[in-house]
Amino acid sequence: MTATKLGGPVAPVRPAPAGDPGGGLAGRTVKIVLLGLTVAIAVWAAFPLIENEMWTGLAILLATTAGLLYLYLTPRHIPLKYLAPGTVLLLLFQVFPVLYTASTAFTNFGDGHRGSKQEAVVAIQTASVTQVPGSRQYALTVATTGDPASGPLVFLVTDPVTRQVSAGDADGLAAVPPGDVTVGSTGRVTAADGYTVLTAGQASLRSAEITALAVPTAAGAIRSSGLSRAYEGRAGRAYDEGCDCIRDTATGRTWTADENVGAFVGADGDRLAQGWKVGVGFGNFTRVLTDSAIAGPFFRTLVWNVAFAVASTGGTFVLGLLLAMALHSPRVRGRLTYRVLLVLPYAMPSFAMLLVWRDMFNTDFGLINGLFGSDVDWFGGSASARLAVILVQLWLGYPYMFLVATGALQAIPRELSEASRIDGASAWGGFRRITLPLLMVALTPLLISSFAFNFNNFNAIYLTTEGAPFPADNPANGATDLLITYTYRIAFGGGGAQYGYAAAISIFIFLIVAVVSAVSFRRTRHLEEVHS
Amino acid sequence: MRIGATLAATLTCALALAGCGSGNDDDSPGTDPSARPPAAGELVIWADDKRSAALKPFAEKFGSENGVTVKVQAISKDQQTTFVTASQQGSGPDVMVGAHDWIGNLVQNGAVDPVQLSAEQSAGLNPNALKAVTFNGQTYGVPYAMENLALIRNTDLAPQAPATIEALVDDAKKRKIPESLCLQVGQNGDAYHLYPLYSSAGGYLFGTTANGDYDPKDLGVGKPESIAAFRKIAQLGEKGSGALKRSITPENSIATFTAKKCAYLVSGPWAVADVKKAGIKYDISPVPGFQGGQPARPFLGVQTFYVASKGKNKALAQEFVTNYVTTPELAVALYAAEPRPPALTAAFDQVKGQDADLEKFVAAGQDGQPLPAVPEMAAIWDPFGKAEAAVVGGADPARTIAAAGKTISAAIK
Amino acid sequence: MTRWIQQVGWRHLVGVLVLAFALVPIVFVVSAAFNPLGTLSSSELVPTGASFGNFTRLFSDTAFGRWFLNSAIIASVSSIASVFISALAAYAFSRRRFRGRRVGLLSVLLIQMFPQFLAIVAIFLIFSAVTDLWPAIGFNTSWGLILLYLGGALGVNTWLMKGFFDTLPRELDESATVDGATHAQVFFRILLPLVAPILAVTALLAFIGTINEFLIANVFLTDAGSKTLPVGLYGLVAGERNANFGMFCAGTLLTAIPTVLVFQLLQRYITDGLTAGAVKG
Repeated sequence: MTATKLGGPVAPVRPAPAGDPGGGLAGRTVKIVLLGLTVAIAVWAAFPLIENEMWTGLAILLATTAGLLYLYLTPRHIPLKYLAPGTVLLLLFQVFPVLYTASTAFTNFGDGHRGSKQEAVVAIQTASVTQVPGSRQYALTVATTGDPASGPLVFLVTDPVTRQVSAGDADGLAAVPPGDVTVGSTGRVTAADGYTVLTAGQASLRSAEITALAVPTAAGAIRSSGLSRAYEGRAGRAYDEGCDCIRDTATGRTWTADENVGAFVGADGDRLAQGWKVGVGFGNFTRVLTDSAIAGPFFRTLVWNVAFAVASTGGTFVLGLLLAMALHSPRVRGRLTYRVLLVLPYAMPSFAMLLVWRDMFNTDFGLINGLFGSDVDWFGGSASARLAVILVQLWLGYPYMFLVATGALQAIPRELSEASRIDGASAWGGFRRITLPLLMVALTPLLISSFAFNFNNFNAIYLTTEGAPFPADNPANGATDLLITYTYRIAFGGGGAQYGYAAAISIFIFLIVAVVSAVSFRRTRHLEEVHS
Repeated sequence: MRIGATLAATLTCALALAGCGSGNDDDSPGTDPSARPPAAGELVIWADDKRSAALKPFAEKFGSENGVTVKVQAISKDQQTTFVTASQQGSGPDVMVGAHDWIGNLVQNGAVDPVQLSAEQSAGLNPNALKAVTFNGQTYGVPYAMENLALIRNTDLAPQAPATIEALVDDAKKRKIPESLCLQVGQNGDAYHLYPLYSSAGGYLFGTTANGDYDPKDLGVGKPESIAAFRKIAQLGEKGSGALKRSITPENSIATFTAKKCAYLVSGPWAVADVKKAGIKYDISPVPGFQGGQPARPFLGVQTFYVASKGKNKALAQEFVTNYVTTPELAVALYAAEPRPPALTAAFDQVKGQDADLEKFVAAGQDGQPLPAVPEMAAIWDPFGKAEAAVVGGADPARTIAAAGKTISAAIK
Repeated sequence: MTRWIQQVGWRHLVGVLVLAFALVPIVFVVSAAFNPLGTLSSSELVPTGASFGNFTRLFSDTAFGRWFLNSAIIASVSSIASVFISALAAYAFSRRRFRGRRVGLLSVLLIQMFPQFLAIVAIFLIFSAVTDLWPAIGFNTSWGLILLYLGGALGVNTWLMKGFFDTLPRELDESATVDGATHAQVFFRILLPLVAPILAVTALLAFIGTINEFLIANVFLTDAGSKTLPVGLYGLVAGERNANFGMFCAGTLLTAIPTVLVFQLLQRYITDGLTAGAVKG
């Protein structure tokens, strides 16, 4: 017993001596297999990159693989050996998305400004193509003069009235002698001399070419409408490189490209809807600071947000710990049953249960008012709505703390707490002086991360109150709104999705949380060094 | 030395594995069709869960008829945003199924292409449905089903269809039915379900331009008409007759009706299946307006097939949307999967005989207005709904609606 | 008697009270699942009817079995992998002293705080390219989603485990090192068995976190055959406003089953792991 140190028993496990052939060999074999697997995956991944001539990607792949091989073959850089697997994944799927998102904060990225200018021009031109007035719709057969997979495409179009068949390609339309073609009952050409008719399956493989093919005519061009119909259409608007503008071919009106806003703007300030993504510098950030809709209720929302995160974390921790303590005794019968039932709230899909809770809080039809015979308008008043969302979080979150605290309590040797009892300390005193400090070593980081999670707990609000209640004169900011739900409403509610703006607000929120977490993190240093 | 051996072993092993790996790829193309050049094109269709299930057999039929592969995939949530985002990054579908009021946003993002319907095809469609999918003079999709709100009533509890909303409330009170009206409001309001009453009381959302399109520059929320309308709505609210209350939510309105706790339900064709399942005798009539007010105009929603601009197989998508969706067989089958009035007149005529509800819903939508498809509409839903919830809860209409109007116009600008 | 209350009775009292709090909403869901006219709008806990209709319809009308399987595979594989990756990193953070250690720890935490709904765009960006190049790990594949989830392996769970590594006395590995053990041997043979309870807890947390994840899975998995339980279940209520609440509740209950099984499986490690491990060696 004397060997038992604070925090855990000394395991009587002794490692095999370094020269032990069994352990060393097994370890080495595993290592070789894993590294081999890494190389194999890299080789597998390289083929498509080479095929698509993506040399940068290939270089990154090679460098990463070489780096990993070096790392695990050199005896140096021990910490990195343990960190590398997680870090690579973290960089790919967390750091990159975050950086990418953060970079959009400096753009006008959002609805109407998602793509490039080129894409906007294409969209404007495509949207302006209309059928030439008085023109006919043709029955269309896609054919080729060569191989079905690669030969030049020809549109065989049948005039619905005269039944005249013409062949069209990018050079224009030419009549086909009636004797050379067979026309089916629908008016479509089924066979033609000198042409190979494409089946739908063959045509579908050349979709992009078919869509792009425009057979010039006097009034416009014949384009496909699917694989069996063609129409004579005309683009009402065209891009003019000379003036960097869009010109309406009928009225002559122009909209000039404005690279500051990423849109084509007319003389009267009228903008075309299809814009593109441009950099706006710190525009989104200044907008966050100057927008009265944000600045006004910001402080109030922040205070509630902190309170919500503290109450959710603290509440679940206290309840979870209390439960774990209560069941941490061999004298409690049915412990296993208790535990299984108590973690059930955590086992249910949380989004489903949030919806269930929302319904339970309904004033007239909800279970809660029904059970207690009360008539509380839960989501109607600020205080009750706040209480309600915290209660829901308590329900959803305590099993987590319960599990963790149970695990932590198991790690504390029973002898320790019993020893303190023999020393004459009361149960509470023993808990406070010995158990709790030890628990905190393990759990403080968790509390910080739980706080951070709850600070941004979007679903907790979005699936229950959606921010309600809202003051009658301000539909933008409700009593239970967190900064994150508030951001969401501002960025995705009114003017469509404004990713750039949302990213800017998120960066501000991020800074706040980061500072809070970093400060509390600094204070954990002494906890961490208990054993060193 | 040791490192050298390890390295050699590693490389051997790696090469062996890589050999197996690439061998596998070549030997079993069946498991991974995209690994080798496909024999025919592929058409990917996105819809919500319900519709993708209904669509699947017909999409597959189209596929086998044309020798192409058709994949129908279901997007469960945020269909529109997911579609636009995925399209932009090149992972979107070729055909999208969704509501017509997405058009404005889809067009400004360059996410959908216009469709060119022939004169006969256009003539075969319900004119209201065709109008709904027309935006800036272009047709942006093929409509297949329509929906609008109506008044569904339990004929055991309320034999007569009420002429006005006031008569409805009086009748319900007289018969001592626990809830006068099941019209979903919820904690944050529901502009879609309120609109018939709002329009009947004289309110409007957007004015119209000379050619009948919605004019986002003329915002009706915050105008005196809208305040007057909300004063009337307030009289139905919790501080008034109690016909409208926030505790009637999207989740429970139909269920409360099927539990016979209210005699009147304002809902759409999607509610009928539940009502039937509960074995309730019902009838369908137009949503009544205020006494002496204008007719109650429900919104007309139109379910639409869109051709995605950034799809990989646009020619096939065009073929599917313009030449296959426009056939009555498909429309009838989609009706069978989900009973809403088909937009295709031929299909509608075919099914109306077996389903009396259809014509009643269409009659209820007689005065309806297409749901505005302008992107500015996105700015209306949330503030308008919250103003509704506040007024129903007893807030001052003038102040509330003025604030909502201010929020909306700030977002539109 | 008073002694019993002091030592055992209060424990039962706490347990029963919290149990009541825990179970009321669940009973509510159970009631809705067995109610043939499934709705959530009842203020009663007792179902108005009892039938397995919602459960049978779940299997006949939807690909529920498939969703279940997908979820089980994705959650199992990614939780096991993530616990392993996390444990490796936790060891480095707890036992090794290197430059950038505390910064690294803090960054791992901070990165998790960025709102996920904004990251969706970037995820599309990455996986559109991945799907083109390597369809085997692209959209609509379990492997792709598992990889994406593993991006978060270095996160909260790493912190949790690091805390537990910190509670193990350093003398333990120091004496082993003196005896000639390599760092890998210290980690795998000495430390890992000692933190078995927390490995089990972390595995359970990771399992639950993955099996309930919705936001990313919803955009990642669109093929009916590739969906997971939350995505499939949400589709039941999202499409048709009210109609499928009964099936939804039935599905919700069934979703809890794998979690409860995993918990049962891991329970003995959580409760007995440490002491047993120490004694048996």
